[in-house]
Amino acid sequence: MSAIKKLFGIVWSLMGIGIVPMVIMQAMKEIAAKPSEENWIFWSIVIVVLMPIIAFSLIIFGVFALKGEYDVIK
Amino acid sequence: MAQNVRNVSQTEEVSSTRRVIAASSVGTLIEWYDFYIFGTLAKIISEQFFPKDNPTAALLATLATFAAGFVIRPFGALFFGRLGDIIGRKYTFLVTLVIMGGSTFAIGLVPGYKTIGFFAPAIVFVLRLLQGLALGGEYGGAATYVAEHSPAGHRGFWTSFIQTTATLGLFLALGVILIVRQTLGVETFSDWGWRIPFILSSLLVGVSVFIRMKMSESPMFVKMKKEGKTSANPLAESFKQKDNLKMVLIALLGATAGQGVVWYTGQFYALSFLQNACNVEFVQSNLIISIALLIGTPFFIVFGALSDKIGRKYIMMAGMIIAVIAYRPIYTVMYNEADLKTKTEVVEKTTVEIKEAVKGTDNVTTTVTKKTFADGTTYKETKNETVPLDAAKKAELAAAGKLKPETKKETTLPQAIYYKMIGLVFVQVLFVTMVYGPIAAFLVEIFPTRIRYTSMSLPYHIGNGVFGGLVPLISTRLVEATRPAPGLPPADPLAGLWYPILIASVSFVIGMLYISNKTNNMDVE
Repeated sequence: MSAIKKLFGIVWSLMGIGIVPMVIMQAMKEIAAKPSEENWIFWSIVIVVLMPIIAFSLIIFGVFALKGEYDVIK
Repeated sequence: MAQNVRNVSQTEEVSSTRRVIAASSVGTLIEWYDFYIFGTLAKIISEQFFPKDNPTAALLATLATFAAGFVIRPFGALFFGRLGDIIGRKYTFLVTLVIMGGSTFAIGLVPGYKTIGFFAPAIVFVLRLLQGLALGGEYGGAATYVAEHSPAGHRGFWTSFIQTTATLGLFLALGVILIVRQTLGVETFSDWGWRIPFILSSLLVGVSVFIRMKMSESPMFVKMKKEGKTSANPLAESFKQKDNLKMVLIALLGATAGQGVVWYTGQFYALSFLQNACNVEFVQSNLIISIALLIGTPFFIVFGALSDKIGRKYIMMAGMIIAVIAYRPIYTVMYNEADLKTKTEVVEKTTVEIKEAVKGTDNVTTTVTKKTFADGTTYKETKNETVPLDAAKKAELAAAGKLKPETKKETTLPQAIYYKMIGLVFVQVLFVTMVYGPIAAFLVEIFPTRIRYTSMSLPYHIGNGVFGGLVPLISTRLVEATRPAPGLPPADPLAGLWYPILIASVSFVIGMLYISNKTNNMDVE
């Protein structure tokens, strides 16, 4: 079980890292195609609020998991 | 004799816990009520406070304000959580109640955009932020306070009463809005009647503050303070110490994020879907949600109590995975049941009424089409076409593509489908009760008393506020992305479900892998 937890740690970290360029590129693509106010509002919320939370928490969580911090949970 | 003394002592303990639950729950319920009337009245608030030139932008602006209310919640969790761990639970969540009540009352008094222009949305925005800040401090305090009064082995049961308040708060908000709307009529309600639910809040908050003033501080906190063991810096202790930070992360990613999206899908998205995708009439759609919420609410307590016996983890995870699997089939049935294309129209009952009137410098043509279908469904379409009397202005607007009529579609479902819809929403509420019923006990048990308020509040409000609170915005966007062209129906009206499905799936995997199923491991001494 510990090995699986550690292995998934890599997955979480990679997901956290991968989400940043993916979201930014999608935002740029959509805003370039239609630079409307609603597009700006939507992507600002996603980039400023949602993306950092997902990225940071997944990366740190993944690193902890990889280091075996969750092998024994109280 | 000794047995009698023990029985009397146990009875007093239960009675005292009940008082604590009642006092905490009433206040939390009112805070949720305050918070939800804004969301429920999003369309009217959009019309009152945001420029009407672009209805989609106005609605999005409201949703953004709504989201801001959610996004600010984690900051409230940090601010009030810190206070609660330093000065105590009781006074902190008394302050949050007063801030929430004051902001809600004030929203009810703000003049509209027509009267004070840009100040109107600006003031509403600030008040909404204050609401979010207060709510961020309230829940963690109430859950911690109740858990610290509850006997070991029954925390899931007792804290589940706090868990019912969010749903009951929404129920109360829908109920008050429906009653006021029905009493005053749609036009008066849209004009000024919508302010009543906001103003009414001051009365409810007053009663709740009075009740809370009489409550005593949490026994665990009092003991800790006496021994001088309170934390000097709960924020640093919660988020800079690895042992706590890793629990904050697991609580967020493995529990509250998934719980947040399941919660919002089952209650808010369901309502939005009924009204916007299925065009179900306002009163009927609100009744469907209200009845489903009412029938589903006792299950918070059922699953909370069950978590004391079999552990928190498996109930929460089961709720998440069943929701992930069942969402698309449930919403497909909901959509199909209301889809007029699949129904047979009783043509001889169709009526079309056209009225023309001059309003100011415009000519307004109102076309009301009423249709009846073989299964008893009725449909009403009201099309308002406003055309300037001035030919030059008319040509200018036509060239800019701004002469589109406003269309309102209302479908009233027959009884059999109406009950089926209640059943389908109830099933979603059941998922909510599974993930949400045991979560307060789960959160309070994984953090130590000295930093509990701070540590549990942040993951809860990020999970619910950010992941869950953004469900309406992101789901609306996902559906819009499938619309082939403006004015045409979306290719996949269920596309909005992909966001909660994805988040709940990731949360399920993390929860299953990393969360412990132990119960009652609360560090209290």
